Amino acid sequence: MSQSELLVSTRSTQPWWRSRTVRRFARHRLAMFGLVTIIILVLACIFGPFLLPFDDLYIDLRGRFSPPFTGYHFFGTDPLGRDIAARLLMAGRVSLLVGFAAMLLSTVFGTVLGIVAGFFGGRIGTVLMRFVDAMLSFPNIFLLLAMAAFIKPSPIMITLIIAATSWMEIARIVEAEVRSLRERDFVVAARMLGLSNSHIMFRELLPNAIGPIIVAATLTVARAILLEAYVSFLGYGIQPPLPSWGNMLNGAQQYLDSAPWLAIVPGAAITLAVTSFNFIGDGLRDALDARSDML
Amino acid sequence: MFRYLLGRFWQSLVLLLLVSVIGFAVLNLAPGGPLSQFTLTPGMTQADLDRIATQMGLNRPLPVQYLDWLGHLLRGDWGRSFRDGRPVLDIIWEHLLATLLLMGVSTAIAIFVGTCIGVLGALKRYSIFDYAATVGAMVALSIPTFWFGLIAIYIFSLRLRWLPAGNMYTIGHGSLGDYAIHLIMPSIVLALVNIAVWSRYMRTATLDVINQDFVRTARAKGLRPRRVLIRHILGNALLPMITLLGLQLPTILGGALVTETVFTWPGMGRLFLDSLGYSDYPVVMGLLMMSAVLVLVGNLAADLTVAFVDPRIRLS
Amino acid sequence: MSNQSSSTIFRPTRRQTLGMAIAGAAGLAMPNLAGAGRAHAATPPSAPKGQVIVGFSQEPTIFNPHLVHIEVDEGIHFSVFDPLFGVDPEGNFFPALAKEVPTVENGGISADGLEWRVKLRDDVKWHDGKPFTAEDVKFTLELLVDPKFMSWRRAGHELIQELTVVSPTEISWKMKEPYAPYPSILAATFIVPKHILGAAEDKNTAPFNNAPIGTGPFKWVERTAGDHIELAANTDYFGDGPYLERLIYKYIPDLTVLYTQFKTGDIDVIGLQWITPDHYEEAKALGGTSVAVVPAATVESLSFNMERPQFKELAVRQALYYALDKQTIIDALYYGLPTPTETYMPQQSFYYNPDLPKQEYDLDKAKKLLDDAGWVPGSDGIRVKDGVRLSFKNSTTAGNHIREQAQQFIQQSYRDIGVEVEISNLPPAVMWGDYWVKSQFDSVVVGINFLTGSDPNTSDYLSSKSSPAKGGAGQNTFQYASPEVDKLLESGGVEFEPEKRKQAYLKIQEIVRNDLPFLPMFQYATVRGHKSGVEGIVPNINVRIDSWDVATWYWS
Repeated sequence: MSQSELLVSTRSTQPWWRSRTVRRFARHRLAMFGLVTIIILVLACIFGPFLLPFDDLYIDLRGRFSPPFTGYHFFGTDPLGRDIAARLLMAGRVSLLVGFAAMLLSTVFGTVLGIVAGFFGGRIGTVLMRFVDAMLSFPNIFLLLAMAAFIKPSPIMITLIIAATSWMEIARIVEAEVRSLRERDFVVAARMLGLSNSHIMFRELLPNAIGPIIVAATLTVARAILLEAYVSFLGYGIQPPLPSWGNMLNGAQQYLDSAPWLAIVPGAAITLAVTSFNFIGDGLRDALDARSDML
Repeated sequence: MFRYLLGRFWQSLVLLLLVSVIGFAVLNLAPGGPLSQFTLTPGMTQADLDRIATQMGLNRPLPVQYLDWLGHLLRGDWGRSFRDGRPVLDIIWEHLLATLLLMGVSTAIAIFVGTCIGVLGALKRYSIFDYAATVGAMVALSIPTFWFGLIAIYIFSLRLRWLPAGNMYTIGHGSLGDYAIHLIMPSIVLALVNIAVWSRYMRTATLDVINQDFVRTARAKGLRPRRVLIRHILGNALLPMITLLGLQLPTILGGALVTETVFTWPGMGRLFLDSLGYSDYPVVMGLLMMSAVLVLVGNLAADLTVAFVDPRIRLS
Repeated sequence: MSNQSSSTIFRPTRRQTLGMAIAGAAGLAMPNLAGAGRAHAATPPSAPKGQVIVGFSQEPTIFNPHLVHIEVDEGIHFSVFDPLFGVDPEGNFFPALAKEVPTVENGGISADGLEWRVKLRDDVKWHDGKPFTAEDVKFTLELLVDPKFMSWRRAGHELIQELTVVSPTEISWKMKEPYAPYPSILAATFIVPKHILGAAEDKNTAPFNNAPIGTGPFKWVERTAGDHIELAANTDYFGDGPYLERLIYKYIPDLTVLYTQFKTGDIDVIGLQWITPDHYEEAKALGGTSVAVVPAATVESLSFNMERPQFKELAVRQALYYALDKQTIIDALYYGLPTPTETYMPQQSFYYNPDLPKQEYDLDKAKKLLDDAGWVPGSDGIRVKDGVRLSFKNSTTAGNHIREQAQQFIQQSYRDIGVEVEISNLPPAVMWGDYWVKSQFDSVVVGINFLTGSDPNTSDYLSSKSSPAKGGAGQNTFQYASPEVDKLLESGGVEFEPEKRKQAYLKIQEIVRNDLPFLPMFQYATVRGHKSGVEGIVPNINVRIDSWDVATWYWS
C-alpha cells in the first residue's frame, strides 16, 4: 500500500521520467510480446472458465485420457477424465495469483529490509545483510522443500513460503542502491533539514531506487511461478483437486509414455508465462536503464 | 591478505551458525517426526515408538537437541542417519560424487557452449544469430528444468529410444561409455539454464572488452583479429565469469536436485528428497550445512581468484 | 486371568499355532507365481549357479533386523539371517535354526503355555565360520529388551524370564503370562551372532549393522549406497539352497523406471511396490516373463474420526457408504485388480467372515437416509443438522497419485448427496505423526494391515482402550468404542480353540460392518513379475517381503 503511494509520488515529481520510459519500453519488441501474452493469459484465466463448457473439477471416469484435439476436449482429459483446458485456465488463476502475491510480499519485505540496511549501514546494516547472505546460502529449492514438507500446503502457505525464500535478492539490490545514494546531496540536505529517518528512507531514497526494484519485482514473478511449479511437481505444493500448473505436472511423468499431453500442456503454459515475465523484466531494465545485475 | 581471509572466515562461521539455526528450527518445529513413518507398521506399538523416541533423544527440549547436535558437529561428528544409523558424512560423501560428476560435466558443457554463443553474439552484434541467442537464452531461463527433462525423456527415450530414461549406469555394465550415455540427457538438461546465463554474461563481457582502448590499439597495431580475440577478449572477459561460477553454485545445486529427481540420478538432490520424506533430520541438516559450505567456499574462491588474477582489485 | 484355556494355542495343528492361518482355500486365492513352484518340472542345480537381480523401489538401509526398519529391509534380513522357525504361505511354521517347531505335543511348550524349550540344530555356522549355539539365541532375545538398544518392538519378548542355555543346542525360558501371538512374532525374529554384535560397545551403531553376518543362505558382499546391495551364496548353508551364486538387490526409486527395467530385462525379479496396476495388461503380454496378481493383507478404507460431530450418527456413515462407488474406483483407477471387501480381515485368513452384507452403491438411498435423519440441505446445498454442517476434511499421504485420484472421485460423489469433502493431504512424516495418532483428522483414506504379527487379534485397532486421544496406547485413532466389540476382543484373546475363537472374530467383523467406523473399500492386490527362467518364487501373505524364500530360487 505504501508502495503504490510512493509510485504516485514518484510520478508526480518526475513527470518526464514516465513518458520516456514508456516509449523506450514500447519499442522493446520482446517486452511488448511478453506484455501482450501476459494480458491475454490473465484475461483467459479470468474469463475463460466461464466460456468453456466444462468444469475443471468435473470427474468423468469413462472419459479418461482422451487425447487433445479430438472430440470435445481441446487439450484432452486427465487421468480422472477432467477437461485439461478448463483445468489449465483455473490452474493459471492459482499459479499467476501465487506468483503475483509472492512477488508483492517479497518485494515489500526485501525493499524495506534493503532500505533499512543500506540507510543505517554500520552494525545494523552488517547484521541484516549477513542474514540475507545466510538465507542466500541455502539453495533456494532446499529451503523451500524443507518448509513445504512440514507445513500444510495451501495456496496462501505456498505463497508465504515462496516469498520467504525470494526476498533476499531484492534486499541486496536495494541495499546496494541505497548505500550509493546515502551520501548524495539530496539526502544530506534532507538530513540537514531535520527530516525524520523514515521520511528520508521512504520519501527520498525509495523513489530514487524504484527502477531496479520494479525490474527485480518483474523477474521475481517469473521466478515465483517457476518455484511454485517445482514444489508442486515434487508433490509438496498446491494440493489437488485445486489445479495449479505445477501440480498438473505432478504425476504426469507416470503417464509420459501413454498420455504425454498431460506433461506437455501445463509445462508449455508455465514456460510461456515465465518467458513473458522475463521479457517484460528485460524490457523494463532497458527502458529504465537500471544498473542491476542480471540473474 | 591474511587479515582479509581471517575476517571472511569469521563471517562465514557466523553465517554457517545462522544457517544451522534456521535449518534446525524449520525442521524440528514442524509436526510429525522421523518415527511417524513407522506408525502403521504391524506389530510396532505406540509404546515402542515412544520408547525409541526417548532413546533417540527426540523428546528433549529443542535448544538442548540443537546444542547437542552443534557440539558433535564441532568435534567433527556430523551425527548419524535416523534411517540406517550410518554416519551422515559417509552418506553425503557417497552421494556427493554422483552430484559432482553431474554438476561438473554440465558446468563444462555450459561454459563451453555458453562462451561460444556469447562471444559469437558479441562479435556479430545485432545479427540474426545474436537476436536468436538472446531470445533463446530468455526462453531457456524460463523453462522449468524438470519439464525440459520430461520432454527430453519423452523424445529421446520413449519415442526415439536413443538414450536411457534415467539412472547413472546400467547395472552390471558400469563401463565408461555407459556412464557417458547416461550422463548425456541430465547434464544437458541441467546445463540449459547455465548456458543461458553464461552466454549472456559472456556477451556483455566481450562487448565491454571490445570497446576498451587496448583492444582498439591492438587492432590498430595490425594484430590479426583472432589473436586479438583470444588474447585480449577471452582473457579479460573470463575474469568476471569466474566470480559468476562461484556465485552460481547454489543455483546449480538446486537445479541438480530437480534434475536428479527426474532422471533418478543417485546424488545429493535425491538424498535430500528421500531424507526429507523420512524426516531424517541429521542427513537433511548435513546436506544443508554442506551446501552452505559449498556456497561460501564458492563465493570466497570467486573473490580470491579475481583478486589474484587482477591486481587492480584490492580486497578490503 | 487368561490361564485357564491358554494351552490349546500351543497344540501342534497348524491353525492353532498360527495367528493368521491361511486356510486351504488360500491356495486358490493365491495363484503360484512360478506356475507350479516347487513341483515344477525343472530341478535346482547341484551347486549355486548364476545371479538374480531383484529390483526394489525403496532402498534397504537397515541390516540389523532388530532396529527400526521398513519392510524392504526385511528382504535383506531373510537373505542373510534365519529365525528359529519360519512361516509358509499356508500359515504353517517350519523349522529353521530350531530342530523342530516347539509345540505342546513335542514337549517344546508346557501345557499352560508358560514354559518353552527349543532344541537347536548343531550343524549351523555363521558366515565367518564360527558355530551357531544357544548362546546366540539367548543374546538375541536379551538384546530385544536391552534398555540401551533401540529395539524396534518388544511385544512378547518382554514376557520372557529365566532365559537359560541348557546346552549349546538347547535353550529354555518361562513366560510371565501366556501370549498367543508369540509364535508368530518368533517366526519374524532373526537370530544375530553374539560373538560379533555382543562385542560391540554401542549395539545401535555397531559396524555389524552395516555389514551383517548371519547364518542365512546368502553372505553379505557389499553395498553401493543409493544403488544396490550384493550378496553371495553361502555354500555352507544348512537348509535347502542356495542355488544362486549371486543375489543383487537393486534400488530403483521410481516405479515407472522400475517397471521399464523389468521390461527391458535389466532386473530379473520386480520386487517391493511391484508393477503399477496401469501396467498390468502390458506386463502380462511381455514375452519371457511371468506376471501375476497377488493379494496382500492390507485393506483400504475411508476411515472416520468418530468423535467428530458429523460422524456421530450411524445414518450419516451408512449414507456415506451407500454413496461410495467402490466398484468404479476399483475398475477405473485400480484397473480392476483389488478385491472389494466388507471387513478389515484379509480374505485369505481363517478368521475371515464371508457372510457380511454386501455394500450397494445407491445415491438415492444415501439421500433418503440423510433426509430421514434430519440432515437438510442448506442454501449452499450442503446438508445441516442442529448447526452441524455435513462437511469434513479428508486426508491421505501426499504423493500417492492413484489414491489422490480416488479421493477426488469420492469428493465428487459426496457433493451429489449434499456432503462437502475438503481434501487436505499431508507429507507422510506429518500425516502419521500426531495428526493420525492423536486423532486430529476428520477422515482419512488409508491402507492398513490390521493384524498384529500374524494373529487375528485386532485389539490395537478396535478396542476402545486403544485410542491415544483418550489416553490409550494403540492405533484406534478412529476412536471407535463398542462395549460389545471390547468384550469379544477380550474373549477372543483368551479363547484358544480356533473354531471358538473364530466365532468371536466373525462376530466382531459383523458388528464393525454394522457400525462402520471405517468404510471398507478393498483388499490390496499387487502385480508381481519375474523372468520365466527364475524358479521357486512363491508369494507369502504372512511375510512383508518377496524374498522370504530366496534360498530356494534358481534358474531353470
